[in-house]
Amino acid sequence: MSTDEAHARVRETDEGLRIEYLADGPTTVRQSAQEIPRLNVTDEMLRDSGENPQSWLMYGGDYAQQRFTTADAIRPRNVDRLSLEYTIEVGETGRGKLEGTPVVVPSDPPVMYQTNGPDELRAVNARSGEVIWTYRYAPAEQGPDEAAALLCCGSNNRGVAVLGDTLYMTTLDANVVAIDRYTGEQRWLYDSAPTRQGYSATWAPVVYDGSILNGSAGGEYGIRGFVESIDAESGEREWRTWTTPQDQWIGDAWRNGAAPNWMTITVDSSRDILYASMGNAGPDVNGIVRPGPNVYTAAVLALDTSSGDVEWYFQESPHGWWDWDASAPPVLFDAEVDGETQRVVSHAGKTGWNYLLGAEDGKLHERSDEFSQHLNMWSLPQDTLEDTPWIMPSADGGSEWNPTSYSRETGNVHVKAMNYPSKFQWDEVDEWQYPSTYLGGSFTVYPAMDDPGPAPDEWNGQKAIFSALDPVSGEVVWQDEWEEFAMGGSMSTATGLTFTGNGDGEFIAYDSATGDRLWQYQFDAAVNSSPMSWYDPGVRKQYVAVQAGGGGLRSASDGNTVGVFSLER
Amino acid sequence: MPDNRTLADGVPDVDERDRRNFLKVLGVAGSVGAASELSLSDLRGAVGEESAGQLATYGERIRADLAGGLDGGRLAGALSGIEAGVARLPELRAAGFPDEPGTAYQEVAAPAWDAYDHLAEVGLFAAAERHLPEFSPDHVRATVAELVRAEPLTAALADAGLDERERTAVVVDAVNQNDRLAEWVTTASLPADPEGYDPDDVAPLHQRALGGGLLWIDELDQHLWQREVVLTDDLLETGLWDAKRILAGTHLFVSAARDLAGPGELTDEQLAAGLAGGSAVAIRGQEAIAADLFRVTDAERAPRGGDAA
Repeated sequence: MSTDEAHARVRETDEGLRIEYLADGPTTVRQSAQEIPRLNVTDEMLRDSGENPQSWLMYGGDYAQQRFTTADAIRPRNVDRLSLEYTIEVGETGRGKLEGTPVVVPSDPPVMYQTNGPDELRAVNARSGEVIWTYRYAPAEQGPDEAAALLCCGSNNRGVAVLGDTLYMTTLDANVVAIDRYTGEQRWLYDSAPTRQGYSATWAPVVYDGSILNGSAGGEYGIRGFVESIDAESGEREWRTWTTPQDQWIGDAWRNGAAPNWMTITVDSSRDILYASMGNAGPDVNGIVRPGPNVYTAAVLALDTSSGDVEWYFQESPHGWWDWDASAPPVLFDAEVDGETQRVVSHAGKTGWNYLLGAEDGKLHERSDEFSQHLNMWSLPQDTLEDTPWIMPSADGGSEWNPTSYSRETGNVHVKAMNYPSKFQWDEVDEWQYPSTYLGGSFTVYPAMDDPGPAPDEWNGQKAIFSALDPVSGEVVWQDEWEEFAMGGSMSTATGLTFTGNGDGEFIAYDSATGDRLWQYQFDAAVNSSPMSWYDPGVRKQYVAVQAGGGGLRSASDGNTVGVFSLER
Repeated sequence: MPDNRTLADGVPDVDERDRRNFLKVLGVAGSVGAASELSLSDLRGAVGEESAGQLATYGERIRADLAGGLDGGRLAGALSGIEAGVARLPELRAAGFPDEPGTAYQEVAAPAWDAYDHLAEVGLFAAAERHLPEFSPDHVRATVAELVRAEPLTAALADAGLDERERTAVVVDAVNQNDRLAEWVTTASLPADPEGYDPDDVAPLHQRALGGGLLWIDELDQHLWQREVVLTDDLLETGLWDAKRILAGTHLFVSAARDLAGPGELTDEQLAAGLAGGSAVAIRGQEAIAADLFRVTDAERAPRGGDAA
């Protein structure tokens, strides 16, 4: 297969996006004779990823998902000299499917592993931008699934995990593949769940202590969610924890109760505890078939990494009717709470609040002031859209899946939020469709409607808000408002900068303390991804990379560019 | 807070508009004075019996569907347990927010769960769903009229610990919120898709009514400890009234089932009204506890930063 021949096609249907694989199996195309330097990525390197300025070895930068780099060449006083070093253009198949964050292995030269939808992975010389090989997933003829993958909200891939000489990537049809990081050849495939039942996958997995920590997606299609652990060597399942516990649901509603974990898992490597962000209950907009709180939906869920045993859970929208997942990756750090330093989990919800939880017990220390507007919060859906008031946050959130960054310098978290209203209705049950969709109703999203009518007076008209919050006090420290949709996350630096992008294609460096814009670059497509950074001692440069091609549910403009910026020390 | 504090402050007063609507629905607006005080016992003689015949048909069918399957002794024990649990609520209210997650609320709900398990096992929930209609306005009106008329049913609510004001509040609420009750459809109304959706996965309506409510009570042990920082005494007060409603509705339902097992003192229409009315009260309780104590807005929450803020 040539480098520009489509291996997959994404079709829009009434039920969602359907993925059709055109190739007969996985393909790897070699684009450079350059050899990838040998470097065994060890557990120790993974644990140190957040401290090593030369590394970005997992989706969130480190196990704590702080999205914080200790690289210090780029500073407030010189960030105005940050310039574009190179770009990587993904193919047309990948246009508008760039929600991911690259990983960089600190070899000489450093090697970047970059993914985008549908199921594409590249190895890149991170110093020069030269693409070494491209892997494209497609199921073999004897593949495990009997139906095309169906997705509600974009055919993206958010990144890889790495251990030793192997990369691990989820596929849209809910598998995990292991790929030789030197050659790009697929080694094995783990079939996580059947697409016929509504399962899919878009997140970056994480590898911890020799195991791949993996989740589940398909919350709009009647799945039963789970978190699982897979042996990184053999591809065999080690444990699976279903996230709709039968004894806490009525009847057999747990079978289609959703509670997917569709974003990357956070790990406390000092305690062997993982923190998973849990999605909505199913059906989304009609709770009468699933009475009770519907644990563990819309929650932060803490599990033992070796057994999958539940340690605690914290629900942000118990028995939800509004699709308010707790989808953003949890962030782990130490903070002074009640006069003592404690390990805490910070989580920004689709509810429009940030929650600061005790890492050991899940107790709520503080719920922040709103970081996006609230209007008629918690109002239940009615029989018709006309009968329901405008509600904020919308079905999109709030924070959506947008990853939060944490600045060790200021102690603030940075949250990118959607800010517009929705109306919800629950349908007469004879209008439900299953398994194509399992909503039990419907909702509108004001800016995405053809004829929305007058907007509610209370809405400020700004579709996105980027906030710095003090997670301990709950205070909003500073905000920047944007007129266009914005998804994706941010990254903070040890030198006091916070990088993020928006739907207008602006890629911005803020002063972490004040929110002043110190630098920005204009892309020609929405930045719906999270940036990352590394320092390359071979050329004494700090690099910042971000994908700018739109992607997902609310993509203001699509493109196919990965931008890499640099500044020499 | 003194230990003898009751939950009275959590019980909303029936306002004039609700009162008027309630009386209008029951068809007794002209025969009851306009005094601001409203009580079910004052209405007993004024409520007509035109809908009792239909209820009797439902009750007769349920009775026929379950001959011999119920364990009266087990249900009697559960009723005593529910009464004891309700009696503990003021003590738990006085204790406020626990220092660590405990099991006190799960203990309160445990006897009700025992009854629930038994009733599910013998198929009473399924029988109730088969023979009782969904909560249309007419069905709610007929059920409430029978609750008002039937002294044994009112007594069951009293045994559950509801005083006259509380009994009135739950019945008025069920009538005035019958549009909410109407959303709780039966499993027979759910879509049946041969490709995968199985309505059998959804519990019968009356099982969802009781079980969902009990799950919310179970959750209180964690919730009150975990979220103390955003919760207030007022929210707790209202939420525990909602919990009491759930238990009272459960008690009414189980009382009717207990009578079905023997001694059979309830008439067919009273049996139907007890099952339907208990379910309605439990549904409204569970919807209310979610709204009052679990979904807290910024306007309702405790001040950020603690009491000193």
